[in-house]
Amino acid sequence: MTASALPATCALLSGDEAIARGAFEAGVRVAAAYPGTPATEILEALVGCEGVHAEWSPNEKVALEVGIGASLAGARAIVSMKHVGLNVASDPLMTASYVGVRGGLVIVTADDPGMFSSQNEQDNRHYAPFAKVPMLEPSDSQEAKDFTIAAFELSGRFDTPVLLRITTRIAHSNSRVQLGERVEHEPTGFVSEPAKTVMVPGNARRRHELVEARTVALREYAETCPFNRIEKGDARIGIICSGVAYQYVKEVRPNAAILKLGLTWPLPKRLIRRFAKSVGKLYVVEELDPYLEEQIRAMGIEFAHKPTAPRTGELNPNAVARFLGSRKKLPPAAEGLPPRPPALCPGCGHRALLTALKRLKVFVSGDIGCYTLGVQPPLQTMDTCICMGASVSVAHGVEKATGRSDNMVAVIGDSTFVHSGITPLIDIVYNKGTSTVIILDNETTAMTGHQEHPATGKTAAREPTARLSLEDLCRIIGVPHVSVVDPYDVKQTQALIKAALDRSEPSVIIARRRCVLLDRDRVRHPYRVEAERCVGCGVCLSHGCPALADVTPKGKRKKKVQILPQLCASCGVCAAICPSGAIVKGGNDA
Amino acid sequence: MRKVTNIAIAGVGGQGIILASDVIAAAALCAGHDVKKNEVHGMAQRGGSVVSEIRFGDRIYSPLIPDGEVDVIVGLELLEALRHVHRLRPNGLVIADELRLRPAVRPPGAPDYPDNIVDRLRASAGRFVLVPAAKLAADAGNARAANTVLIGVLSKHVPLPLDAWHAALRSCLRPALLEVNLRTFALGQRHAGG
Repeated sequence: MTASALPATCALLSGDEAIARGAFEAGVRVAAAYPGTPATEILEALVGCEGVHAEWSPNEKVALEVGIGASLAGARAIVSMKHVGLNVASDPLMTASYVGVRGGLVIVTADDPGMFSSQNEQDNRHYAPFAKVPMLEPSDSQEAKDFTIAAFELSGRFDTPVLLRITTRIAHSNSRVQLGERVEHEPTGFVSEPAKTVMVPGNARRRHELVEARTVALREYAETCPFNRIEKGDARIGIICSGVAYQYVKEVRPNAAILKLGLTWPLPKRLIRRFAKSVGKLYVVEELDPYLEEQIRAMGIEFAHKPTAPRTGELNPNAVARFLGSRKKLPPAAEGLPPRPPALCPGCGHRALLTALKRLKVFVSGDIGCYTLGVQPPLQTMDTCICMGASVSVAHGVEKATGRSDNMVAVIGDSTFVHSGITPLIDIVYNKGTSTVIILDNETTAMTGHQEHPATGKTAAREPTARLSLEDLCRIIGVPHVSVVDPYDVKQTQALIKAALDRSEPSVIIARRRCVLLDRDRVRHPYRVEAERCVGCGVCLSHGCPALADVTPKGKRKKKVQILPQLCASCGVCAAICPSGAIVKGGNDA
Repeated sequence: MRKVTNIAIAGVGGQGIILASDVIAAAALCAGHDVKKNEVHGMAQRGGSVVSEIRFGDRIYSPLIPDGEVDVIVGLELLEALRHVHRLRPNGLVIADELRLRPAVRPPGAPDYPDNIVDRLRASAGRFVLVPAAKLAADAGNARAANTVLIGVLSKHVPLPLDAWHAALRSCLRPALLEVNLRTFALGQRHAGG
């Protein structure tokens, strides 16, 4: 489909929205995802589209398997996730490559160079050669839409899942997109064909042969794929690039000769050789790992640059200009400015719970969610953070190594618990662990922008559905002590955790307090500091609430604190921890 | 030489930066330009520093503005405006609210909130317009509409027609908020400075 054949409807879409639009126009029937920055908005944009079932799955592995099922029933399916989500889904990915598709299957991986909201900056381009599935990399929103449609066509043509790889700057940059009409693809229905879809060794051996033959065919396709193109220019310099790096190259070297790769696995080797021969100095500009560079060097082609490109963090036009030899001096950033890191919101239930943990002086095995911000001063109550669900299993490992579970708790959000926390909790019970697991239940997936999940009782479309009861689930797993507490009640929360730590049996405490951002209608009665009772100890500042301003005059030891009424969510946590009872409800500061 | 206008909006998560950048990008789109816009989601929004960039012109490549090529910095908060002022092109413009917000989290050893920001902005920017945007917005009936006051100021300094701005405001704002934002936009236009 070419842009000129479409009606003259133009919209400014983010890369995520453009992928969703492409999937819609390609007749996608099933879309599944677990929320994760920067991929979340793809599924969100598909919710409510006519003819599309769009769901939040409990995790990315489930989402991909749902996509595989839909594809085997002859429907077009799209599954989207952040880069680390593909680790979770890598098990089905590797075998889905053998099984192939019936309807098209497109898997979107949204990488996060620079880690705006991630625990690592792995380069998921490596998954394409690893799983032997073709990979497309769009470099703006129009391409995000076009490549999505093309990915479905490739998927059907070569009987393979297709990886669509984007990065944060593609996902969250908006640019113009020509909109087209939806073309329906009716599912053919499921048919039994064990040689293709039952991966026992005998069948898988034959499918593996087919995968290798498919790779040969894809290599040939890559040579003429319209998304790999040479842009002629001043041939003294030739630059190979893909994705957002292409835009940075065009920005700083608009006249250079460029080989723009849209299909980045398998690579078009003959095209690359032809381009390399036609230019003087050859460069490759890519973000994160030397993925293109190493494959091209392995072809015996040398670059003008040493392998010293930045391997960490995000690229930008300045870094690309420097890499390509610019010596332009840029003025330095203003010095002596205080940083402004993100913080838990005023009234956040996570802060209340972490405040209780801080007072108990325990180690905290942490997880992925807003509460990870508890690692920052002044709370500093987070001792591990690895991946989704690891809080529970890491605490168990610590217990088995040290023989102690009275000095560490695991904390995990409600959505994260459903994603990956259930099996490690089973492990604790099964292997006679005695750890304390605290589920921080804010009744939503907060960090990615408030998505529903199985324990909220609502679907992606906000329709009511069966609600998973976290307390019933924990009991049925066999946890003997399951309790629910409102973390705003710091004293009771602290007492419950203390009792759980002292017990030689596993405990789950569900700290339930709705995300304060979803609770805007709650009536607030801002607290204030009574000056005559305040002893200036500063304890209230130790939990890092943005509504509490340190207004201590310069040079004074005795702290002076002011509560900002426009920010105060009246959770009462500061009042609960004030040793002199100087924080009270109502009115302005005295 | 291709003509591109580059605008960076800086502020604190929750101040309406994404909405402001949506309005500017929509206005540029309505006026028939190529447009790119980038923004930060996720963890970065929780009261932290946030910046969004809009570029428009004949043909836009990078969604990120190269350092030294920012035409206008719109600061919803003074410290956040200062954080980006080095990225201005020579004789670039800063439009900033008078608002000062102390960072909610203060890591040990972090410097105090500077008290000479206005002087430093005046010294670094080619042109500087200081606007009591939050105050004007509160007086107009919605303290959260400081962003559209600043957009009103901006509209007097970038080459986009008034009807494009009005169309953009209509397409980006909920009907319940449109009227007050059209008012705050007009207020900003009257405080556009030199």
